[in-house]
Amino acid sequence: MAGMSLVCEQFTAIARARWQIFFHSLRTTRGTAELVSRIFVSFLIAGAGIGGAIGVGAAAWSFVSNSSPGWLALLLWFVFVFWQFFPVMATAFTESTDSSVFLRFPLSYRAFFLVVVAFGALDIATALGSLWLLGMLCGIAIAQPTLGLWAAIVLCVFALTNIILSRTIFAWIERWLAQRRTRELFGILFFLLVISFQLIGPLLNRYGDRSKPDVMRLGQRVSPVQQALPPGLAGNAITKLGHSPAQGFASFGLLCAYGACFLWLLNLRLRGQYRGESFSETSARRTQSRERQIVPPGWKLPGLSSCTAAILQKELLYLSRSGPMLFTLTVPVVMLTVFRFGGAGGEKNGVLAHAPNFAFPAGAAYALLVLTNLVYNNFGADAGGVQLLFALPVRFRQVVFAKNLAHLTVLALEVGLVWGAVSFLYGRPPLDVTVMTLAGLVFAAPVNFSAGNVLSIYSPKKIEFATFGRQRASQTTILFSFLVQIVVYGIAALVLLFVPHGQGYWLAATVFALLAALTITAYLIVLGRVDRMALERRESMISELCRA
Amino acid sequence: MDTPAISTERLTRRFGDLFAVQDVNLVVAPGQFFGFLGPNGAGKSTTIKMLTGLLAPTSGTIEILGMDLNSNPVEVKRQIGVVPEGMALFGRLTGAEYLNFAGRMYGLNREVAASRAAELLEFMDLAGQPKTLVTDYSHGMQKKLALAAAVIHGPKVLFLDEPFEGVDAIAAGTLKNMLQRMIARGATIFLTSHVLEIVERLCSHVAIIDHGRLVAQGSLDELRAGVKAEPGNNLAAGESSEKLTLEQIFLRTVGGTRTAEQELSWLG
Repeated sequence: MAGMSLVCEQFTAIARARWQIFFHSLRTTRGTAELVSRIFVSFLIAGAGIGGAIGVGAAAWSFVSNSSPGWLALLLWFVFVFWQFFPVMATAFTESTDSSVFLRFPLSYRAFFLVVVAFGALDIATALGSLWLLGMLCGIAIAQPTLGLWAAIVLCVFALTNIILSRTIFAWIERWLAQRRTRELFGILFFLLVISFQLIGPLLNRYGDRSKPDVMRLGQRVSPVQQALPPGLAGNAITKLGHSPAQGFASFGLLCAYGACFLWLLNLRLRGQYRGESFSETSARRTQSRERQIVPPGWKLPGLSSCTAAILQKELLYLSRSGPMLFTLTVPVVMLTVFRFGGAGGEKNGVLAHAPNFAFPAGAAYALLVLTNLVYNNFGADAGGVQLLFALPVRFRQVVFAKNLAHLTVLALEVGLVWGAVSFLYGRPPLDVTVMTLAGLVFAAPVNFSAGNVLSIYSPKKIEFATFGRQRASQTTILFSFLVQIVVYGIAALVLLFVPHGQGYWLAATVFALLAALTITAYLIVLGRVDRMALERRESMISELCRA
Repeated sequence: MDTPAISTERLTRRFGDLFAVQDVNLVVAPGQFFGFLGPNGAGKSTTIKMLTGLLAPTSGTIEILGMDLNSNPVEVKRQIGVVPEGMALFGRLTGAEYLNFAGRMYGLNREVAASRAAELLEFMDLAGQPKTLVTDYSHGMQKKLALAAAVIHGPKVLFLDEPFEGVDAIAAGTLKNMLQRMIARGATIFLTSHVLEIVERLCSHVAIIDHGRLVAQGSLDELRAGVKAEPGNNLAAGESSEKLTLEQIFLRTVGGTRTAEQELSWLG
């Protein structure tokens, strides 16, 4: 009993500490802005949760009322996939907390386990998943009240299984991310997973509306497999209770067995953490050599000062060592490929195949969009190194300018790559379209760079360049960057909408060039004020970026 | 008199209602090895941050080598080197790349930066792992690298915040030799450390800060004399102020002793 009360005491203390940390973060303007942004995002999430719950509930009601409860499994699969994949895919909305920090205290293993599961479950996926299951339960109970209690028990176990599985996935991913080699391997797998998800839509478009016998056969083969997995089992457990209770109970038993299995896997990982395992990569001394290492001189770039070239070199080296970021940069080309071959009706009917002239502008716009992570959190990857930038005998605007130059270099490379991909996949873009696109980029890039520089100074967030799930920008940055994109792409769309057909692309290029003159001027004005802004904000920048 | 290497006048920094540093008047002559001491939270790191331009003072002036830090920040930074509290490293560069970067940012040309980087890596015994990223260095190795980056341009004034923390005895010996060599060549070193033996052995002059205020400043002999002259400072029988260690001076100055009643009676 005393042990249990100690666990409760510790659990309460941790909950209280987390609340206090949150409360104290509101002392700063930045913390308050974060809260406002979080509330805004929470409204969106609540909308998705309640809307989804109503939708799932209505579907469940319809399936049960129309005597086709077998389709419940489809809803459960939807909830399951979202619950497990959203936290991994949408790392911008997910923050993984490191519970091992509590191990310095005399925490029993049971308490540690509870802390990991309970605090880890406080995420968007759990909130939305639970709401949707609740909606589903309501739908089932309204359609067939006698099934309500049993459905509640099954869905409860299903929810618990999901919570435990998602914690298990995170715990194992953390383990793989702890070492560089497994991290890079995991990065490749993750990227392939993302790409395969991008392909689902086009594949459905291509095959979904055809009742090809082979596709149907494949569906029939897949069906028993899905029935043996947790969503299928939960669906079976609910639907079979009425006419074949033994099958229903068996499915429920198997669902519980899955939960126990996931619990065991989680237990395996957490036991290791509890024992104090370490996967530190501090390299063992390979040689005791005191021989002088040959250090190649840094880059010399025409027209750039030594400092600017040094920062540019450093930025590009950093980028080249960030697996996740490099993968992100290849996405525009992958998307062009998907849109080329992915539409229903094959190559000739791909989404962009209808308007090949827009393939290059769309690819280039996407290329600018994927740079957002870099541009809007300029100093995030520098972390404690930002102190050196303040201690150096250079103006801060020079540092920021060099960073923007690095972004521009990446953008230019990316746009070149996109142009090559478009030429190969859709045919070489016409000259007027190419010029218009480049003019559009010259208009849009300075807006993003200016806003990015300001947000990087006012709302920096330390990120792990090489680690998935540790690249979340601040909530304020996410919201403001969305707004900037809406304005920039809105203006671009208006320009394209209002230029008369016939002389369209050249005129649009001229309009973009004129707008570019304005945005470049604005960029220079903002750049001129960067020194003052950075000096004013240096204290909060350093404290935020040096945070452990 | 020579222009002081470091001088501050009524240097003050407030955080809300709290005076982290208040009316500090420091004078450090060129060529001095200056130890800056104080209990935890006394204002040492805040002072060093202000002296190096990492933190703006609320009021007061700072002059480094006769130049006002506020009006000539870039020129001042060219003359100084810093190892701040968090070491200011770029984790995803190799040691050589980091030093090369720092050298060029301090205005060295490419070849000189590369050759000094190689020399420093060898001197600091970091040359054996050319491909290891800084993030994978041990704490002591990171400390040595941060110090190497701070001296790559041959600064006239060097600021070090706890340079020996986490450094092994061999590396500490190497660092001490290097710092003493810099002093012999006319550089000024401003150092904070909690290891009073090191400060006593290395520093010619010391200042003690407590609750944001400077409570003592001078050579070790001057501080000893100050302890003796302090009213109510009764030396024990047979205790001579000339033989007081820096630790004893420090404890007497900041009042760091506890009475038996204050002890934690519940502690086994």
